[in-house]
Amino acid sequence: MSESGAKHKFAFYLGCIAPNRYPGVESASIKAMNKLGVELVPLKGASCCPAPGAFGSIDLSVFYAMAARNLVLAEQMKMDIALVCNGCYKSIWEVNHKLKHNKDLRDAVNEVLKEVDMEYKGTINVYHTAELLYNDKFIGVDKVRDSVTNPLTGARIAVHYGCHLTKPHKDREFEKEVMLNTEHPIWMEELVAAIGATPVEYRNKMQCCGAGGGVRGYDIVHSLDITNEKLINLEEVKVDALTDICPFCQLQFDRGQIEIQEKFGVKHSIPVLHFAELLGLAQGMSPQDLGLDLHGISCESFLQKVL
Amino acid sequence: MAEKKKATTKKTETKKVAPVKQEVKKQAAAASTAAPAKTTAGSTTQQEARIGVFICHCGTNIAGSMDIPAVEEYAKTIPNVAYVDNYKYMCSMPGQAVIAKAIKENKLTGVVVSACSPRLHEPTFRTATKEAGLNPFRFEMANIREQNSWVHMHDREGSTEKAKDAIRIAVAKASLLQDLFPKTVPVEKAAMVVGAGVAGMQAALDLAAAGIKTYLIESDMSIGGRMSQLDKTFPTLDCSQCILTPKMVDVGRSSNIELMTWSEVHEVEGYIGNFDVTIRKKARGVMTPKEAEAKGIVGGGCNGCGDCETACPVIKPNEFEVGMKPRKAIYINHPQVVPLLYTIDFNSCVKCGICVTACGPEKKAINLEAQDEFVKVKVGTVILATGYDIFPIENKQEWGYKRYENVITSLEFERLICASGPTGGHLIRPSDGETPKRVAFVLCAGSRDNTGIGKPYCSRFCCMYSLKHAHQIIEKIPGCIPYIFYMDIRSFGKMYEEFYYRIQDEGAKFIRGRVANILEDPKTKNLHVMADDTLLDRPIDMEVDLVVLAAAVQPKEDTNRTRKLFGVSCSQDGWLLEAHPKLNPCGTTTAGVFLAGVCQGPKDIPDTVASAEGAASAASIPIHKGEVELEPYFATCIEEKCAGCGMCVNLCPYSALALVEKDGRTVMQVTEAKCKGCGTCGGFCPGGAIWMNHFTTPQIVAQIDAFLLGGEQ
Repeated sequence: MSESGAKHKFAFYLGCIAPNRYPGVESASIKAMNKLGVELVPLKGASCCPAPGAFGSIDLSVFYAMAARNLVLAEQMKMDIALVCNGCYKSIWEVNHKLKHNKDLRDAVNEVLKEVDMEYKGTINVYHTAELLYNDKFIGVDKVRDSVTNPLTGARIAVHYGCHLTKPHKDREFEKEVMLNTEHPIWMEELVAAIGATPVEYRNKMQCCGAGGGVRGYDIVHSLDITNEKLINLEEVKVDALTDICPFCQLQFDRGQIEIQEKFGVKHSIPVLHFAELLGLAQGMSPQDLGLDLHGISCESFLQKVL
Repeated sequence: MAEKKKATTKKTETKKVAPVKQEVKKQAAAASTAAPAKTTAGSTTQQEARIGVFICHCGTNIAGSMDIPAVEEYAKTIPNVAYVDNYKYMCSMPGQAVIAKAIKENKLTGVVVSACSPRLHEPTFRTATKEAGLNPFRFEMANIREQNSWVHMHDREGSTEKAKDAIRIAVAKASLLQDLFPKTVPVEKAAMVVGAGVAGMQAALDLAAAGIKTYLIESDMSIGGRMSQLDKTFPTLDCSQCILTPKMVDVGRSSNIELMTWSEVHEVEGYIGNFDVTIRKKARGVMTPKEAEAKGIVGGGCNGCGDCETACPVIKPNEFEVGMKPRKAIYINHPQVVPLLYTIDFNSCVKCGICVTACGPEKKAINLEAQDEFVKVKVGTVILATGYDIFPIENKQEWGYKRYENVITSLEFERLICASGPTGGHLIRPSDGETPKRVAFVLCAGSRDNTGIGKPYCSRFCCMYSLKHAHQIIEKIPGCIPYIFYMDIRSFGKMYEEFYYRIQDEGAKFIRGRVANILEDPKTKNLHVMADDTLLDRPIDMEVDLVVLAAAVQPKEDTNRTRKLFGVSCSQDGWLLEAHPKLNPCGTTTAGVFLAGVCQGPKDIPDTVASAEGAASAASIPIHKGEVELEPYFATCIEEKCAGCGMCVNLCPYSALALVEKDGRTVMQVTEAKCKGCGTCGGFCPGGAIWMNHFTTPQIVAQIDAFLLGGEQ
């Protein structure tokens, strides 16, 4: 969909957690991507993605129809979708993929969409902004490195990839063609290094944050137990911050630390930042612009190190 | 129609030269010079076609899915059909008798059997046709089973109509079939075996014992292959090297085997009976005593003393030890190499010359300026025994091979547990050299894997060698417990199941579940094996000291090159393809080329040796027979039409065509013995100057007409 030479334009799908809990993710994404030649145009009228665990596990037809409606809105804008959340990626990318390849499903969804005078045509693609940052076709690591004005030198940053972006790897085309690695990826670490920080490996990196798949809603103790284990593994290698590419994972790691202290009496204090926020910092945005004071766990220690 | 006119012209030509046909056989040796018309002789084509149609029921395989009487009634109405019959099993002796009787009584000129695939029974019915006095190539098969009744089992009406079409089309071709005579070519009384692992060695020994001169080509410095890397073999637990070295020595001694190590097949030309093979002897830099003598250095050449190796300053990882032991740039990779001859790895040699000095002025075995040499040999048959590679198990990233020090492969385990290996047979953890007390074995590592990363097939010997590994650590390390993570244990061979029970009794722990993930404890370098115990239905996180991955096997990296050199195919998974998986497991689609061992698919040692003996037997048959018969389906050039453009010469996948000067013109000439009758040239020739025997343009056009016109002429 991209026109060569001109700025890449994408319909920006926000999701629910980023605008409500971590507005910095929204502002940093728009501003940072703009500096990298990508314009994110708001996808007006979008609904919930809908959440893959909460909806996808209970009523698939609602799941398909709602995601398809969001896709149609972008089709009407004649733009590919860019989004910042693995959960949204799972829903919107996967429904797009399924509807493109399954005529029966497409017909059934269009039957529902008819009620709101819409038709899914299958004319656009869906991308995660992290994918746009890494893929040379859109931006690439070199351009990211060149855009940095305030390198986060000296910060030890661990990466949480989140599940839905990389799995199931059989379907994930960008995984196959660009990142080539599902079980032990290191492409996010390349991005972390590009903004001047030191990427840190830790035990059981690819484990779930604990929130996804409806676990958080269904069994909060179990969910926090998983999160707690990951936080312990992170402390083992002494990180300054954890970065993610999914606001739901971010919520679980950030506010989860408060819940863990309440429920288990275990205190962690690891700042958790979406990669868009880190990139914003590295490009010179102020912590206030990024709304970092809204995080559950204070980012002060980290900011002192990098600013 | 223009094509029909062509056919008529052709027929007249062929009639004129009919008497020559008897000579053809005698002229077999001069195959390439035979003129096209000689072999297409068919004096009876001029008479009216009288075709017999024989419909087989194949029990209920065919009759159960279609209306045989209706097909039979229809067949009687097809032009040129003189006789129609049906029988329960046409391939049975009484069935064949029906055909023979009908040929004689009805003076048939052609036979159509509508039954199964020609791959199955074409030879049967050709013989029946021949025995009744008709040329066997006047037989045509209509497949109404594999391509009809089996796939349209629930469409009786449709399959009946399709059978009518198939028979009508076959009759149209049968009406134009001509007498053809297979050619014979003499067979060179020599064979070549490519690859000198246990398969290649066994095949070469068998051929040599049968009195056949055998060239054994090995790309490595020594024969022995994978088996020489193994410590013990299952289920007998005898030492792999102990049972292999006698064979290696036999190969080295056999007067009928010409052993060429550090050599590769460079080029192959020719066909069954007459393969011209160019072998590249890679620059070795070290002369054998024989080679030295030929150069006038009396008493010289390499005697295997090893002085050069001691002196060499270059250190590299030894591939034979899976990189766990050093070697020099001039080296032998293990003490039992055959031939005992040092080799220079010119990729790492710095040509300092210290080895030349160490070797001394008497032996003068080393030549640092050695170049590759090319040797040409002529052989009648070829056996490919090129073996396998280990799947790069680091691609299964969740198990952390090459990321975690204490995750090793089974081949590394073999070297570590082997007395002649890098640790003298002491199994250690690579991270700290400690003796492990808890060892996890991950079976189906990359095998039976449908994720798209591993291999979908079973590698067939990992279950058994992992049981053997479990036994070895129980025996060698008191108190050490092997934990075997498996999907199911495939102990299918002779005494294998008994061996499985024995290992259970010895105390190995079996956990049925695939390993999802392996995590390293950064401090202790111990490993956490995460799996689902599917028998107890609960997840496991087991801490162990060492993990051994039973990595899948995969086709050799250069399989594609081998395929192109010898014109053989490979199956979907990349292994070289046998002619028939059940009934011709050693043959290939190229006559005279046979397969032995794992290059065809995963096999344990007993199966490998059996397959090698089978291949040797199959490869010796044409040699002992002295001549082979070739199908007369080759292309022929109609010289008066040929413009000598040479397009066909470039297209031919078998290099069977060439341009020659004849009566002042350039025309194409076919080497009939090389031609497989694929028809590429015939279909392309812009001047219609190529005549494909048995698949002539008139025959094919008649078939298309019969199909499209629905029998209406």
